[in-house]
Amino acid sequence: MSETAFLSNLADTAFFWAAFAFMVAATAAGLGAIRVALKGEAITSLMGVSVFTTVTGVSLYLISLPELFNVGFARDTAIALLVVGSIGTIIFARLFRTGDSS
Amino acid sequence: MIFEILTAVYAALVLAYAFWNIKRGSFVVGLGKFVVCAVVAFLALVGVLYFRGNDLWPTALALMKIGAAGVLFAGIPPMIAATIGLFRFGDEYGSNIFYVRNHITGIVDTVSSLVMMVAGLLILRIDLAAVGFFFFMFIPFTGGALANSYYYVNQRRSER
Repeated sequence: MSETAFLSNLADTAFFWAAFAFMVAATAAGLGAIRVALKGEAITSLMGVSVFTTVTGVSLYLISLPELFNVGFARDTAIALLVVGSIGTIIFARLFRTGDSS
Repeated sequence: MIFEILTAVYAALVLAYAFWNIKRGSFVVGLGKFVVCAVVAFLALVGVLYFRGNDLWPTALALMKIGAAGVLFAGIPPMIAATIGLFRFGDEYGSNIFYVRNHITGIVDTVSSLVMMVAGLLILRIDLAAVGFFFFMFIPFTGGALANSYYYVNQRRSER
């Protein structure tokens, strides 16, 4: 095996396991976010849901990569979650601020 | 099997360095210096392998992908710390614990977007880096809007 082939195989293995481990860590953070969303009041729940959309979006984007699982349709869902999730959080926070939301 | 063993060693080294940074509370090696050293090491490795008769482009791509794996491994300790924080700080700490949670969620957002940006650039997936960049730009507005909203709602509640 040439040095380039060795390095390529090592890179593929390392990238796969790194992305997999990162997704597991993101899932754990997502569980914490669900706990915050379920136990807190309105704005705390909004914050928890915002984090949950973030970790879900990043994990979906990672599984859509051809280097990993190549689930193509997950990419669009991930972009929607990341962008619309952030904008929705800002809009709802603004609504909670001005409204009578206690 | 040798690749899995080398991956485990690489992951252990990166995780140990990331945990060391977190424990210390600041960068062990300054970020600018670290990036310069990483780029110099990358160029030196590519140069050495090229002059040993390997193709330039596949070698560089493989090394960049190993770097992307390192970035993903380095994102794990902050995520674990954020998870512990989200479970640890409950409502028993009073109403201001919201701002602590806001900081923790900001860490999750920042780590996610930075990992997307840097890993996307290193594996030459510009769409991944672009989405990470746009998401990175939204983070301060999201955190600020949540904190601002909580402040005014809390103030209204205390006035009643």
